[in-house]
Amino acid sequence: MDSNILLEELQSIFRDILDQPDLVLTRGSNANNVEDWDSLAHINLVTAIEKRYKIKFALGELQELKDVGDMIDLIQVKLAAK
Amino acid sequence: MNEYRWSDIHLGLKHEFEATFSAEDANAFAALSGDVNPLHVDEAYAIDAGFPGPVLFGMLTSSLYSRLAGVYLPGKYALLQGIDLDFSSPVHAGDVLHVAGEVVFMNEAYERFEIKATIRKADRKLVSKAMIRVGFHGK
Repeated sequence: MDSNILLEELQSIFRDILDQPDLVLTRGSNANNVEDWDSLAHINLVTAIEKRYKIKFALGELQELKDVGDMIDLIQVKLAAK
Repeated sequence: MNEYRWSDIHLGLKHEFEATFSAEDANAFAALSGDVNPLHVDEAYAIDAGFPGPVLFGMLTSSLYSRLAGVYLPGKYALLQGIDLDFSSPVHAGDVLHVAGEVVFMNEAYERFEIKATIRKADRKLVSKAMIRVGFHGK
C-alpha cells in the first residue's frame, strides 16, 4: 500500500482515538509532538491499527519505532508479508 | 474470583452470570453519583412518563461489566482500560439480568484483550452491549 495513503488512513485513526478532528499527522509525528499521545492512547492506537490492517505487532517491533514514519514502514512490511 | 493471567486468555473464552438490582440499590446509586433524575427514583414521575416504574440507571446496570472484568474475565489481576457502551432497553428493579462476555480480540504486544459483552433480561431482550478493553496489573 502506498505510504501516502497509509499516512492518510493513520491520520483518520489518530484523529478518532485522540479525539482531535483537526490533527495533521506527518511521518515525523511522535508521542512528544502530538498532544495526548500517552501510554494508554498508544495502546489504543496500536490496537486500532492491528484491527484495521489485520496484522499483529510484537512488543520489540513497537519499541523500536521513533515516529509515525517508522510505523508506516513497519505496516508496509507486515502487509507485504501477508 | 478468577485469577487469570495473560497466558490463560484465549479467543472465545467466555463467562456469564446473573444479577438483580433493587429500588434501594437505585437510591444508593443516586446518592453516590448525585444523579437524582426523577425517572430513576420517583415512582409517580416514572409512571407518568410511561414506564411501569422507575428506570434503573444505565450506569448502575452497566456496573455489571465492571464485575465481569474484575471478578471473572480475567478476575483478580484485571486493569479496566475502557468500555464502549450502548443502551438498548430500560430495566426495572427486580429484573433478572443475564451478563455474558467473550474474548474477541487479543493485543499480544501489550497483553490487552477485548471482551464483547451483553446484558439481557430473562426474556433475552437486550439491555445493553459493550466492548470492554482489559489489561493486567501486578505482573
